[in-house]
Amino acid sequence: METVNPVRNSDKVLDQSQGMGLSNEVNPYYSIPIKIKKIIPETSNITTFILEGMPIKFEAGQFAELTVPGIGEAPFTPSSSPYAKDMEFTIMQVGRVTSALFELKQGDLVGVRGPFGKPYPLDDFKGKEIYIVGGGVGFAPLRSLFLALLYNIKKYKKIYIRYGARTPDDIVYRRLIPDWQKINGVDIVLTVDVGDESWEGLVGVVTVLLDEIPVNVKNSPTIVCGPPIMLKFVTQRLVEVGFEHKNIYLSMESNMSCGIGKCNHCRVGKFYVCKDGPVLTWDDVKDIEEPFL
Amino acid sequence: MKLYLLPSNNIKNFAEKLAQDGSVFYPVFEDNKTHLVKFAEDKEFEPDFEKIRTAENIKHFFFPSRDVVAKFPKDSRPKVGKQYLFGIKSCDLRGVDVYDRVFIKNEPVDPMYQERREKTIIISADCPEPADCCFCNLVGVSPYGEGTCDINVTKISAGLLCEVFTKRGEQIMSKHQDLFKEVGKDNIKEREKIRKDALKRLGKINEKSFKEDIGERVEKADKETMQDAQKDCVECFACLHACPTCYCFLLSDYKKGKDVERIRTWDACYYAAYARVGGGANPRSDLKDRFWNRFLCKFNYFHEYEGFFACSGCGRCYRGCSGKIDIREILWKL
Repeated sequence: METVNPVRNSDKVLDQSQGMGLSNEVNPYYSIPIKIKKIIPETSNITTFILEGMPIKFEAGQFAELTVPGIGEAPFTPSSSPYAKDMEFTIMQVGRVTSALFELKQGDLVGVRGPFGKPYPLDDFKGKEIYIVGGGVGFAPLRSLFLALLYNIKKYKKIYIRYGARTPDDIVYRRLIPDWQKINGVDIVLTVDVGDESWEGLVGVVTVLLDEIPVNVKNSPTIVCGPPIMLKFVTQRLVEVGFEHKNIYLSMESNMSCGIGKCNHCRVGKFYVCKDGPVLTWDDVKDIEEPFL
Repeated sequence: MKLYLLPSNNIKNFAEKLAQDGSVFYPVFEDNKTHLVKFAEDKEFEPDFEKIRTAENIKHFFFPSRDVVAKFPKDSRPKVGKQYLFGIKSCDLRGVDVYDRVFIKNEPVDPMYQERREKTIIISADCPEPADCCFCNLVGVSPYGEGTCDINVTKISAGLLCEVFTKRGEQIMSKHQDLFKEVGKDNIKEREKIRKDALKRLGKINEKSFKEDIGERVEKADKETMQDAQKDCVECFACLHACPTCYCFLLSDYKKGKDVERIRTWDACYYAAYARVGGGANPRSDLKDRFWNRFLCKFNYFHEYEGFFACSGCGRCYRGCSGKIDIREILWKL
């Protein structure tokens, strides 16, 4: 059979790339070294690492590869505002790289490579109610989005956050939430799977927060990040209540190595999660057989 | 494109001249297989430009199986020298087409690949004797270089008929013009016949074409088809490592003294842990899904993005397969 013949011309390919690459500034595999400024434990297994400055410019929704020297890298979305002075990552200890990271101390060197992926389309959110749903450590990237929205809060109608954790002790940013709740135009409700004596809030998995959705579902964006099982049930509910599929933004978990759409590890169907994501819409992924791992 | 004739008695001389500013690799036929060997003046020079592609793929000349891609905290990279690939086949040019798209055209540019690509002169050779494993004609590749190479040569009775495709190919020709002769009409006629015969032979080897919408058919394959396709796979992964178009890789960091080296190694999507995430979940834990992912990648995803298949029809996957799985048989059934 005939296939479309590729442009088989070395001159063209090599001319196209002239002047690009071949210098350290643009080596996409190089990590920028930076020191850890402060370490703040958030829960028993989730910690925020504050770095000494902003090694790369990023927009909310983009991610970076964080390196523990000699151990390796892992992908994380920063949890700090893109407009902050210092870059922060809030990380759960789950694997080889994160375990090594948790051994590091203030002043130790890490590496940062990025930014990768596409940011949230914040311009499309203007004038709208924004409905954010998070679970567990999924609050980390959502915090970055939330802080970016706060930076221009007048541009948005209202910001809703619905967040669930296993127990009150597992709530990430418990130290910051009371102040956020006082901000005009912000509405935050929390739930825990299992309460304790001190807990006066809601008890139940995160979907209990979605029984009543106070936003106009027809044109509001909703952004979800959390463990796969939560992503699955929350998405089902959001679709059921009538959010447009293209307005449901989901943080996809995927094995990432290069971050630049070359190594193929992160592929989910036709998408490179590292390049086309890491946030994809339900419209993008709904036809994939098992979009949530 | 300009044509030149390199008389048989000047071929070694030409290789010698090229070797003055780089490493020259040329094909030899040994133990029923073709291999690329490095030219050395004191070594016997018995190139074979007519047998099929080398047993090994040529991707490691551009994309080594283990490569230092960055250092930490201060970046530096190993130096890369000039090299000439003299006599590789057109199926391997499809591999270079794939890599050019992945590593250069699709930003960001991969500086390691780009540097090697810029320092590698490709002189391909016609493939007049396609073997039973060959199916380049089914994936849009001709048995002779039509581009991507700098120069393509056809072995004819008088020597090598050279066709130049790039500026740097032209520069090589003018630099060594005293070695070349003018091309006669009979030389061109001879080349036409060689090419016609090669195509005819390929047509006989592969009587059936893949269906027009093969990419869609791969995507829509049912579970039984996928299950049946992988039943003889013993997960040796020879097919993927032998493939000249596969480009999956993995980055890992190793301490070297006070520094850290970031190493890129070839990877393969058949490995069970290939897509497993930090939390332990795995989207393709079943071999059937991993096996089919290769077909989706080559005949659907890549084709949709770039307009051609990420398959060269070289048949190395079939030749290397412990279970003798023939990719053609699977695709013909769809």
